[in-house]
Amino acid sequence: MKARIALAAFAAIMAVSGAAKADTLVFTSWGGTTQDAQKAAWVNPFTDKTGVAVAQDGPTDYGKLKAMVEAGQVTWDVVDVEGDYAAQAGKTGLLEKLDFSVIDKSKLDPRFVTDYSVGSFYYSFVIGCNADAVSACPKSWADLFDTAKFPGKRTFYKWSAPGVIEAALLADGVPADKLYPLDLERAFKKLDTIKSDIVWWSSGAQSQQLLASAEAPFGSIWNGRMTALAASGVKTDTSWNQNITAADSLVVPKGAPNLEAAMKFIALAASAQPQADLAKATGYAPINIESAKLMDPATAKTLPDQQTASQVNADMSYWAENRDAIGKRWYAWQAQ
Amino acid sequence: MSTYTDVASETAPTSRAARPNGFGGVMPALIFVAIFFVVPVIALLLRSVMEPTPGFGNYAELLGSTTYLKIFANTFIVSGLVTVISLLIGFPVAWTLAIMPTKLASLIFAVLLLSMWTNLLARTYAWMVLLQRTGLINKMLMATGLIDKPLALVNNLTGVTIGMTYIMLPFIILPLFGVIRKIDPAILQAAALCGASRWQCLTRVLLPLAAPGMVAGALMVFVMSLGYYVTPSLLGGTANMMLAELIAQFVQSLVNWGMGGAAALVLLVVTLSLYAVQLRLFGTQNTGGR
Repeated sequence: MKARIALAAFAAIMAVSGAAKADTLVFTSWGGTTQDAQKAAWVNPFTDKTGVAVAQDGPTDYGKLKAMVEAGQVTWDVVDVEGDYAAQAGKTGLLEKLDFSVIDKSKLDPRFVTDYSVGSFYYSFVIGCNADAVSACPKSWADLFDTAKFPGKRTFYKWSAPGVIEAALLADGVPADKLYPLDLERAFKKLDTIKSDIVWWSSGAQSQQLLASAEAPFGSIWNGRMTALAASGVKTDTSWNQNITAADSLVVPKGAPNLEAAMKFIALAASAQPQADLAKATGYAPINIESAKLMDPATAKTLPDQQTASQVNADMSYWAENRDAIGKRWYAWQAQ
Repeated sequence: MSTYTDVASETAPTSRAARPNGFGGVMPALIFVAIFFVVPVIALLLRSVMEPTPGFGNYAELLGSTTYLKIFANTFIVSGLVTVISLLIGFPVAWTLAIMPTKLASLIFAVLLLSMWTNLLARTYAWMVLLQRTGLINKMLMATGLIDKPLALVNNLTGVTIGMTYIMLPFIILPLFGVIRKIDPAILQAAALCGASRWQCLTRVLLPLAAPGMVAGALMVFVMSLGYYVTPSLLGGTANMMLAELIAQFVQSLVNWGMGGAAALVLLVVTLSLYAVQLRLFGTQNTGGR
């Protein structure tokens, strides 16, 4: 008897958790203020519209994603990843193809759409500076690599990703349209000249802290962090000169449990109003070309999509192709 | 003589008596260890020799590259440095705690434990803020006129050593305290009465008696340091990268599990060997098992 009750209870619990699973979409992003903004701009409207609850997880971890797919135990439905990773993971079979009958790609910036991903938002590496802390701010990548003209520490992104190698080559005089394929030899030689003056930032929050405390008063920073820094009262200076763009992407891991809802979520996240709302909150640009007119001009003016004249597009397909080889060299160079 | 001997001699006979027949009694424990330890390690081993191509290529690459060898060396240098400094600071602290009134000692213990239980990331960030060029420590030193240029205390070996030593101190103070408290003060008095100088009392009486605690604590700190990730990653520069960070890069950033598995296994083998050395030197010998 007791056993039977226990069994019934067990079955009931399984039924409930099974039902809960089907109704809950899991969205994974990088945490921090960006994920908060994604929750407000995408997750809440999605739940209001569809009734599907969304659980959030994070931070995004490529090792974990691969482990889930290989083990056939995928718990993430929609994941915010870096653009070059999206391109690579799509090729190596870790992602579901997106359903473009659900997701309307006619209004999306084609630079950020592949079979397996659509852009999440796009950002620029700009030359950021704490104008309170120094007498002059660097205006170009060449300035940032010039320790005679601008003595002191400068900060760069620690991980192997589009941005720093491009900046080194631009600083060394490579024309923007001749960047790819990247001349790694030349880039590392240029980076060697400032190696002892580099303080690495590994998270957006850290880059802000380094600038605000003047530990490293200037460096290569995501533009959204400069917007946030200015809002916190620091006198900032941002140079958009040859700003280097890259995008985050939304992807669905292979074998995600809620495929249909995942497509609907991405469709909503990429649509005009949610993209505009996210841009307003983060300072990153929308990937939907209709979003700009939904924003007030003052906000729209601060976004990377207004800086296209001086913009350098990081080549995501080149990076996807060479991600591993560059990464190995990058970390080996750092450790030397 | 030491906590080691006491604990071992107390538990060994009872556990032997409680063992019903052969492996039966320990089966659940063995199964537990097999599922949660042996299986993942074997999976890791398989990955390290199967990915991306079958063979020992990953190990050859790992042990044949000067970069990776430098990271191995860094790992041992930092761990060794942290261990020595922890001992140098921990020993006097443990000694003071052992001879001070119990009430005061337990208050200090509470502070020690509280710091141990505070989030590691929060403590590491606190050090980051304190140690940076524009941080409190540099500002104070500049204000007192001791230095006129900020010292480089963080994003280098100094930062990692300070941060890790701070975090490791409780792990050396606790075992040392246990051993020192058991030393009969009369022995030291007797030594002094027999004409031993203070230095001789320390080197020929106190230190040998405290040796098992020192070795246990030092080994624990050393082994834990070998696998440390958060603190070196945040307080260190990339030039003194440690093994755990290399593994994280292989697994998370490069998504190269073959190399990650190989590096993890090398770390595991080193750790287990050190543990075996400790058991051989101070474990079994003391309990009289051999």
